[in-house]
Amino acid sequence: MIVDVLQTLVDGLLIGMSYGLIALGFTLVFGVFKRINLAFGACLLLGAALAIWLQSMLNYGVFGLVFVTITGSALASIYVEKICFSPHIGPNAANASMIASFAIWMQLDEISTILLPQRTHAFAGIEFEGLEFAGLLFRIEHLTIALVAILCVLLVSWLNSKSRLSQHIKAVKEDPNLAEILGLPVSRINITVFALSGCIGGLGAFLILSADGHVTPLFGIWTLFKGLAAVMIGGLGSIPGAMIGGIVLGLSETYAAYSFGAEFRDIVTFSLLFAVMIIRPSGLFGSAALRTEQMAKARI
Amino acid sequence: MALISFLALSAYLVLIVGEVSFGQQAFFGIGAYSAAIATALYDLSLTTAVIIACILGCVVAWCLAKLTTALSGFYFSIATLAFAELFRFSMLQVRFSVEVDGQKTGPDGPEGFENIRWMFEQNMESSDFLFLVACVLFVTLTCLYLADKTPLFRSARVVGEDPILAKAQKISPDFARTTMIALSGGVAAIGGALFAHFSTYIEPGMFSIMLGVHGLAYAVIGGLAVPFGPLLGVAIDIGLLESVRYFSSYRMIVFGGLVAVILIVLPQGILNARLLRRLHFWGSRHEL
Repeated sequence: MIVDVLQTLVDGLLIGMSYGLIALGFTLVFGVFKRINLAFGACLLLGAALAIWLQSMLNYGVFGLVFVTITGSALASIYVEKICFSPHIGPNAANASMIASFAIWMQLDEISTILLPQRTHAFAGIEFEGLEFAGLLFRIEHLTIALVAILCVLLVSWLNSKSRLSQHIKAVKEDPNLAEILGLPVSRINITVFALSGCIGGLGAFLILSADGHVTPLFGIWTLFKGLAAVMIGGLGSIPGAMIGGIVLGLSETYAAYSFGAEFRDIVTFSLLFAVMIIRPSGLFGSAALRTEQMAKARI
Repeated sequence: MALISFLALSAYLVLIVGEVSFGQQAFFGIGAYSAAIATALYDLSLTTAVIIACILGCVVAWCLAKLTTALSGFYFSIATLAFAELFRFSMLQVRFSVEVDGQKTGPDGPEGFENIRWMFEQNMESSDFLFLVACVLFVTLTCLYLADKTPLFRSARVVGEDPILAKAQKISPDFARTTMIALSGGVAAIGGALFAHFSTYIEPGMFSIMLGVHGLAYAVIGGLAVPFGPLLGVAIDIGLLESVRYFSSYRMIVFGGLVAVILIVLPQGILNARLLRRLHFWGSRHEL
């Protein structure tokens, strides 16, 4: 009994870390642009689909698979930036980008379905034996995801605070026009942010898919919803928030599945997301921006 | 396809107040389920069923609007998305199937709701039913045209343009927003009710996010200036479907790209206020 509960805890934590990794890619774009990229899941699916499709022709190994998944996701993200984000400026830009990115989601999803005509496709990633410790079962794949997730959080935090890129990003965030006048390559910085989010997402997608061993065309919408829920619970735009939101989501899902049955996983995901949106839309660690905006709205 | 026009119109009603809803398919589903239960299980007439569905859609949408009063922009969109998915996954758990006249009917989780036989009981051809749907759509459209001149719609448009300006003109943004969202729920539910009786079978998977995004996309590309805009969006998609019939698997690629491009080139949609003004001007110049 205790072992079961502990095992659920471990599973929840590790699954939560993988949600967190996806959420990190999400929050990166939001943190900079204050807009949400709903085509993110489709970009990752396209990366994975491309990797499998090319593998059937070129027959490369695991490294090729990693490389193509990440590159494909990053390229798809750049495409999304070009067609959904950079053309829209002005007060309605956030909504326009959001709708456009959902339209592009349909497009990328369809391309992936053409690349993956069957219902499921084997995804031959890295495989390890399970590891048993004190009666608990750990899967090395999940431990790898957790490790990579932590490394990515550290990397992004470092990029966000110390690097030269972070200063540029801050300038663009503050005022894109002013940044342009000051001679900063604004469009290149935007592309970098999107590519980075695509790379992190692609890496996450590769690790999750190789732990699952297969990919279905529903992977895109799955990552979108789980990533979105994790990001909203943790607070949009917060880097540690993404990870903690992912863990909260993973734990609630696994406990719900353990207590009520597997069908309740998704019900819990969306109940949690809906509850967070109503009770605390800025999430656990969300930026103060939303709260200030709400206070401003309440005043008028 | 006339059925999805209702969804497009309901997305249009929400867009008027400046919000984007990804959850209209839930009201479509609520309408479908409630109307199907009314006719298949309680033997009510279709008119009563549609009215029940419409009222229920309005009430649920009103509750959702009240709950999300503080939210705007993509926070509202995500909340509606979560609500719609929550509805869909909950319907997978609802099992309430009974036997009527020796046939299984009623919502049965993932197996769906079978034998909504109203159309057969009335000896109706599906073309007759579609004519009925077209009539209801026409009536809805006419109502929306007439409503466009009412103070409610005018204030809703001001709220959609600029809530602060609306407040300065003593318009309550919350009231306009809540009413429009409730109306949109009602319109979507009418569409859902008719859809359930047309297809005679419904399942939760039909009311997925893909349906909602289509409705939204039609309203966005059609334009918000007149209620006819969303229907133009539907017409464009059908036209596209016909023209690329031979490679129908590319349809979403073309349509998705088209929506993104129209958002860049014509952010107000195809039938926008400026075009209408020009048409009006052109018309008055060519009067005798």
